[in-house]
Amino acid sequence: MRRAFVHSILAAAAAGLCGAASAQDKPAPPPAWHQGKPPAMSDSKLAPLPGKMTETARSEIPVEKVNLPPGFSVQIWAHGLPGGRAMARGDQGKIYVGTRIIGRVYEITDNGDRRSVRVVVDKLTQPAGVAFANGSLYVMAINRVLRYDGIESNPNVQPVDLTDKFQLPPEQHHNWKYIRFGPDKKLYVPFGAPCNICEPPPQYAQIRRYNPDGSGMEVIARGVRNSVGFDFHPKTGELWFTDHGRDWMGDDGPQDELNRLSKTGQNFGFPYCHAQGVADADFKKADACKDVTKPVALMGPHAAAMGVLFYTGSMFPAQYKDTLFVARKGSWNRTKPFGFDVVNIRVGADGKNPKITPFMTGFINAKEGKYDFWGRPAYLLQMPDGALLVSDEQTGTIFRVSYSTKN
Amino acid sequence: MALCDACHGAGGVSQTVGTPSIAGQPKLFLENQLVLFREGLRVSPPMQAAVNGLTDKEIVRLADHYAAQPARPVAAGPADTGQVEQGIAYARKQHCGSCHLPDYRGRQQIPRLAGQREDYLVESMLAYRDNRRTGGDTIMAAALYGASDADIRALAHYLARLR
Repeated sequence: MRRAFVHSILAAAAAGLCGAASAQDKPAPPPAWHQGKPPAMSDSKLAPLPGKMTETARSEIPVEKVNLPPGFSVQIWAHGLPGGRAMARGDQGKIYVGTRIIGRVYEITDNGDRRSVRVVVDKLTQPAGVAFANGSLYVMAINRVLRYDGIESNPNVQPVDLTDKFQLPPEQHHNWKYIRFGPDKKLYVPFGAPCNICEPPPQYAQIRRYNPDGSGMEVIARGVRNSVGFDFHPKTGELWFTDHGRDWMGDDGPQDELNRLSKTGQNFGFPYCHAQGVADADFKKADACKDVTKPVALMGPHAAAMGVLFYTGSMFPAQYKDTLFVARKGSWNRTKPFGFDVVNIRVGADGKNPKITPFMTGFINAKEGKYDFWGRPAYLLQMPDGALLVSDEQTGTIFRVSYSTKN
Repeated sequence: MALCDACHGAGGVSQTVGTPSIAGQPKLFLENQLVLFREGLRVSPPMQAAVNGLTDKEIVRLADHYAAQPARPVAAGPADTGQVEQGIAYARKQHCGSCHLPDYRGRQQIPRLAGQREDYLVESMLAYRDNRRTGGDTIMAAALYGASDADIRALAHYLARLR
């Protein structure tokens, strides 16, 4: 049974890719991460940073190196979740954590002074997307959508397979998901461009929303290269999302974006226009940035801006109310590292006057200008008491950030 | 480790057709592959049987051990100048050395290719090209789209003879 399951996944993945590659009469495209690399950079040895797929012992997580503003403190809340990234909280308080390559979804149970971790499902193709609504856990892999009804009470529940309803396109690159239910009860799902830079096929470089059963699909944003983090503004309900800038246009950009969707169907520029109006080096057209919605804020060159969270809790000082936290997993496509932190952004609901301040740092020894890092903060979750959970995909750790005037 | 050596050769230098040398591979690469086999995300029945039930700690220990063994090319016959030149040209065109490094010793999650068994290199690259090894990541699967059998054979011929 288990073996058959594995084979069906691999066969499905292979079928999808074979479909894409079968046009033998056309020259093969360069590999996705390599596209757009200019001749001047052809000897560059920059390559995506490696993740880690084995458990990191608690003693090897240097939490004491994490820096926070005065009054804040951090603890290791859960660990032993290799590859753990996006988090969703169940109605009864269990936390579900998605992964990419290791293919698992974890469940964390909070037993008060300690947490226990179990694997809900494994052997999926990058099940990065997790969301929770009405007692059900939704898991979205690159090529599958599963719903676990009542899982918090019934740990062995078999999933309902919703894959056919969601009509996921076949390309894998940049098509691992971040998923989230909006205030309209719809499920928001990004479909990244399957390349570094390309004229993407029509199903990609967009954000969609669906009814929870996969019906009623609607494309709500276009020209989005690769968004893997978003939240909804606590007052306006508008979607705010990060988007990763393209690679191989130099160390300084184009920068990652923080965007605000103020109208359904807005175009955010990919592949012609990046950041605050940077025309693409490879895909050119007249008036490249005409009718393109510009970002609220630039998040830094190659920063890998990931999780976005509007803070609505009451634990942190009042100045943090309705501000944004953004996790920046950190660059690989620039000579010196950038990111590897969580920043706070004070900004109006209209997106005006953003002010970015470092919040959680210390995951990298930045002074050396070398890739001397130990952690890569990826996603954020606000707990009912107002504490902030921060996942570190590198060590498979969930940190809890809290505030007290006694600190 | 005796179990590993039985197929992968003494000290991880393979004398077995179709079975790769694992000596001198980057530690993280070895860890990742062992996890992928254990999780069933990379399919190889003998490897699945071998790693079934291993803990992460045991995997790390095995990876440490074989990463520290000296890599040695196995006898693969004399080099054919034409093949070597074709292999070098194709490697340059595909920028293989960007990630695998110019001397092909690999790094971190990226495997050593220098001195790997020629038969294994050919079979691996064919598997990538033909989407039989999509496995864990989306990267190598696309690196060999469109490669001809002749290019792959020449590249393997060249890499297998590097030290």
